[in-house]
Amino acid sequence: MRAIDFLLIILQIFLVLGLSPLIVGVIRRVKAHLQCRHGATVLQPYSDLAKLFRKEPVISTTASWIFPATPYILFSSTLAASLLVPTIIAPMPLNFAGNIIALVYLLALGTFFLMLAGLDAGSAFGGMGSSREAIVASLTEPALILSLFAVALTAGSANISAIVYKTAILQGIVLDPPPHLMALVALFIITLAETGRVPVDNPATHLELTMIHEAMILEYSGRYLALVEWAAGMKLMIFLSLLANIFAPWGIATTLSPSALGLGLLVFVGKVVGLAVVIGVFECMFAKLRLFRVTELLGAAFVLSLLALVFFYILRV
Amino acid sequence: MPTLPINIGSYLVNLCSALLLLTCFAIVAQRRLMACVDLFALQSVFLAVTATLVAYLTGIHHIYLAAVLTIAIKAIILPRILKKIVRQLNVQREVSMYVNIPTGLLICGGLVILAFFITQPIVHLGFLLTQDSLAIALAIVLIGFFIMVSRLKAVTQVIGFLMIENGLFLAATAAAYGMPLIVELGIFFDVLVAGLIVGIYTHQIQEAFGSVDTSRMKALKE
Amino acid sequence: MIWPIILLIATPFLIGVSGLVVRNRQALDVLHCVQAGIMVVSSMLLVDEVSVSGPVSFLYFLHADAISAWFDLVIGIVAGTGTLYAVGYLGEQYDRGHVSLKRFRQFFMLFDLYLGVMLLAVNVENLGMMWIAIEGATLSAALLIGFERSKGALEAGWKFVILSSVGIALALFGTILVYYSSEQLLGISEEALHWAKLYEVGDQLDPSVMKIAFIFILVGYGTKAGLVPMHTWLPDAHGEAPTPVSAMLSANMLTMAIYAILRFKILTDQAVGPEFTGTLLLGFGFFSVALSSIVLLLQEDFKRLLAFSSIEHIGIALIGFGLGGLGVFGGLWHLLNHALAKSAAFYGAGLILITHEHKFIARVPGLLREHPAAGVALFVAGLVLAGMPPFGLFVSEITIAVNAMNTAPSIAYGFLGVLTLAFATLLFQILRMVLGVPMETQISTVGPRCRAFSTAALAVNLGALIFLGLHVPAGLHDLIGAILPFFDAEGEYF
Repeated sequence: MRAIDFLLIILQIFLVLGLSPLIVGVIRRVKAHLQCRHGATVLQPYSDLAKLFRKEPVISTTASWIFPATPYILFSSTLAASLLVPTIIAPMPLNFAGNIIALVYLLALGTFFLMLAGLDAGSAFGGMGSSREAIVASLTEPALILSLFAVALTAGSANISAIVYKTAILQGIVLDPPPHLMALVALFIITLAETGRVPVDNPATHLELTMIHEAMILEYSGRYLALVEWAAGMKLMIFLSLLANIFAPWGIATTLSPSALGLGLLVFVGKVVGLAVVIGVFECMFAKLRLFRVTELLGAAFVLSLLALVFFYILRV
Repeated sequence: MPTLPINIGSYLVNLCSALLLLTCFAIVAQRRLMACVDLFALQSVFLAVTATLVAYLTGIHHIYLAAVLTIAIKAIILPRILKKIVRQLNVQREVSMYVNIPTGLLICGGLVILAFFITQPIVHLGFLLTQDSLAIALAIVLIGFFIMVSRLKAVTQVIGFLMIENGLFLAATAAAYGMPLIVELGIFFDVLVAGLIVGIYTHQIQEAFGSVDTSRMKALKE
Repeated sequence: MIWPIILLIATPFLIGVSGLVVRNRQALDVLHCVQAGIMVVSSMLLVDEVSVSGPVSFLYFLHADAISAWFDLVIGIVAGTGTLYAVGYLGEQYDRGHVSLKRFRQFFMLFDLYLGVMLLAVNVENLGMMWIAIEGATLSAALLIGFERSKGALEAGWKFVILSSVGIALALFGTILVYYSSEQLLGISEEALHWAKLYEVGDQLDPSVMKIAFIFILVGYGTKAGLVPMHTWLPDAHGEAPTPVSAMLSANMLTMAIYAILRFKILTDQAVGPEFTGTLLLGFGFFSVALSSIVLLLQEDFKRLLAFSSIEHIGIALIGFGLGGLGVFGGLWHLLNHALAKSAAFYGAGLILITHEHKFIARVPGLLREHPAAGVALFVAGLVLAGMPPFGLFVSEITIAVNAMNTAPSIAYGFLGVLTLAFATLLFQILRMVLGVPMETQISTVGPRCRAFSTAALAVNLGALIFLGLHVPAGLHDLIGAILPFFDAEGEYF
């Protein structure tokens, strides 16, 4: 492996770690603005994380080893997943290491342990949150895989770097709009569901009737909570990068020249922040769905990704 | 002559027809009647954009007129009439349906595939700008048909009917470069009158049955 | 000579529009009597004109060839007597205070519009305009069916609106597909939908497009024609509409829908050969006859009884067209006689509805004694509809059966089987009504004006039925001779 690859990997790690609290902050800021609140600065999540890391964690006496181990597993699996997703440059250095399936299951691994931890602490809310998360996760996962496969079939590769590289060269979405558009909408719905945004979950409240993600992590405190929150931010970042780079890869660096990389960085930050604004606006426009209605929304995502797949697989041969 | 390269143009037409299909799915997944009407209006706007693109790319001018009429009738007048009916009748959402929403979405997915298979043997024939428009148009027609049979409220059934009309218009515009002007005008007139008549009917049904739930009309059987 | 076609189509529109200004009932009656006369006479003159000197055109969109002329005759005569009957029927409702003068005028405006667009539909050259006219007929019929605003009428009207809108939308898709295929040959122009132009290039139309298009057309216009299984609106609409409208639905609108299907059948046959459409028509026709012949027996409502009988007869005509050859003659002859007989039966049924104010078959026995006008109408029309010799429906059914026997005996056996069943069930139900001892359930008698108008309408219809049973006018003979080549059919008829 070349030295530049190491540099790129380190850059990617810092980018994802450093940018993800900012994205969360941007969404909160947009929401506050639209709700006519003053709101915290976009940098507030950094302060939150710093403070949480300094605090002493409290662990339930009934909890087993799973409870303290989960934040580390979640954090590291999410970080590993993020290395598979191209951000500023199309062929990622680690692209030999995994493809769509690795990405999906690295994310699922974290979710799985989070659900276990929710049960492990022994509180009523944790178990409730875990069972709800199980419903949502079991519905999003097939839709996520199908929508990514739909895109993979045009590119002729299940490797995300290759997909992005090819769509970047072939002008992406313009190439074959109908299936891409469907996969895009499906992936957008999945993003909202997987990262616990309105209308599937509301990250801003702790209402027992509605919370999903917040219920699972209710027992966490201190540095554990910091790791879980940070991992959630990275997951959001991963999905936003997927949306931005698979469906609109314009501007991403395809060579290693410094100017291309610089442009890629600028464009990437712009796209991700733009998407965060869209999500913020979206959260203000819609009310949270009742849990039983969530299946309808995710059903729509599933059907759309299935259709996108069918467009490619059956009808384009 | 058009200055836009023909293939970029056909991408755009294809994109618009895909957006039309997406709004169909959104309507299928939507329970609130007002939102359904809004989505229908949005779909009609996409339709008008498609028509404008086709008119620009082919240089057939009367399609512009059809686009303007689409905006006027299907994106403004008919949604207003429908919203007025919804407000008057005070029905906000479709509470029960013959088919629940996820199943409905799956069925609609199946209908899209069916539409592609039906049109597959004939897409190569026309002066098609795009490969998919005819199939998408047929899919929209079939989904509109599905909405008409799966929903109970008179208003949603009307939206289903109007979606069928949108699908037909897409077929005529994107696949056949628009029907002759006189025919197109006649079709618009008929659609408008159909909208009015349905409005009259829903009103009378509400008065006679005390509801616009068409499942209450069960008196007549073989 | 073009004025018969102009008069035939313009009269209902003009007189319908005059309803906006004429507020006097007397004047409306007179105007509609004139309209009835003009319709009957001009449709006959048009047949004479077309059979003697070929197709007639007016302006750039009206064009009556032999096929149009035949359907003009069917629709024109029945529309004329229907207008007469409607004047009597609605007048009676008005005299009894059931309808206000405003509603009376509304009814006639809609009714005239309805007749006008149906006549327009069978005379326009452009297939797109034909669709527009048929959609116009659907919309005006929708308002007419729900005219009485009772729960039943609204339900029937809503069902009709929804089903026929869907049907007609599918038909438009079929039309668009035909256009899609024809603009390759005729260019992007209005001519690409002109039937005569399409007929000239018919054998070059793309077969796969035409096949798909024909399926859409058959299901679409077939919904309007009440083919099983798209027939569910039909008995409700016929049962709940005001009786003159039921008569026009049955005799005219179903016929018009068949006309539209035939136009496309001829084009499709040129592109793909007669096998494809023939099989489809036979299938739909056979199921229509089979289902309705059984359901006839279950009916307790005499208007619905007549409605199911319409499904049966449309099915028979369709079988005739599906067989081709002399079956086409059978189908055409069947449509003409069915329209006359079915409207006469509905006129009789309407009179019973006026005097008895209910529609139960079981409660109106002995009509011949209790209510001779209605009784005779139902009796004669019932005999005709059941297919008794020497009337026209007997001739057409036998022609179709013989033709089937020559080409495909298995079809002939099935056809004769269901026909026998339909004969028995229909006659059983009709005889239950007209024979026997009256139950004395009559509430009132028909007023003199209504009696005069309906007797006149019935006299024309029954007279024409008997006349056509005994003698075939030379004009009609020539006209059929001009139609058969379109179907690639030849042979000795009559």
